[in-house]
Amino acid sequence: MRQLLPYLGVASLLLAVTALWVRQIFLAHKSRIEVQVPRKGGARGGSTASHDDLGERIFSLEDWEFVSTNTPSQIQKMFLHERGVIAISWLRRTRMRISLVMRAHLAAAGQTENLHPATELKLALNYLVFRVLCDVLIGCIWLRGPIRTRKTVGQTLRTVVWLRGAFEQLLARVDPANCKTLRTSFNHRAARN
Amino acid sequence: MGPEPKNVEIDPAVRDLRNRTLVKLPGDFSRLVYLASSRDYNTGQYHHDGLSFHFSENVASKALAACHREVFDRLVYISLEELIEELDHYISSTDERPEVFLKSWNHLGSYRVTIPSECDELDAEVFLSNVKMALAILETRQKPASRDEQSA
Repeated sequence: MRQLLPYLGVASLLLAVTALWVRQIFLAHKSRIEVQVPRKGGARGGSTASHDDLGERIFSLEDWEFVSTNTPSQIQKMFLHERGVIAISWLRRTRMRISLVMRAHLAAAGQTENLHPATELKLALNYLVFRVLCDVLIGCIWLRGPIRTRKTVGQTLRTVVWLRGAFEQLLARVDPANCKTLRTSFNHRAARN
Repeated sequence: MGPEPKNVEIDPAVRDLRNRTLVKLPGDFSRLVYLASSRDYNTGQYHHDGLSFHFSENVASKALAACHREVFDRLVYISLEELIEELDHYISSTDERPEVFLKSWNHLGSYRVTIPSECDELDAEVFLSNVKMALAILETRQKPASRDEQSA
């Protein structure tokens, strides 16, 4: 048992450092994160340039506020079901895209000699947290629907949006080619134009 | 009407299409249906005689496709309330009775063919879901009105 103590100590220390680091990231960026919800009439002017994320549209509360005050319960149920299905599709796609880019990055990193272990570790942690959050969100939406869990969804979505940003920033430093692919795949409009 | 496409080749054709044809149509839903109907469902190519005459068949097809995507993008991102207004406006612009129109669109799912060929899968999913919701809401609004007509 005594032989294990040093290992346990190192593991605990690593866990504590990781937890502190994750906490610091969350606290530092929490206040800066803002999920832009498309404003009423904003699209009518014809600008599609600002719509760079479908997630914002899907999780927008504007539609639910309209449906809950102007339609019967049968329509409200239908709306919750429809939006839940789409929200889960969006999260699955986001998770899949990040996974693809991470895999591509790992393949590229395997051939690079000039690796930065600290940045790679941050990237890996970022990726893990992102994946876990996506799974948690899918579970929440599946169990309770996108609106009933809107506080959790809103908060987690902000974190997901921020993590995606942080992931992109880190990847841009380590692997600019894959980062470009990630940005293009998230913003298909940019790719199309 | 929207952001200028970056493709210089089709720019004049897009402007022509917007200024001469699309601007005259009542609302984005009408534009979407018009643009989708200019597409050959067998080949996916768009056709417009006037535009092909002034430019070329290829440029005309690309310009129609670009405008189709642009109008579609706008409709994906408007709120459900606005989409209902758009759809209602479109229904009023046709000669059909609203209840017949709604029944037909719900039953046949005619709105599915209005999706551009090169569009994102999830965008299409959001659009179809929103139109389905809009049709259901318009139908619930129709029911009391048709009951009133019958009792009168």
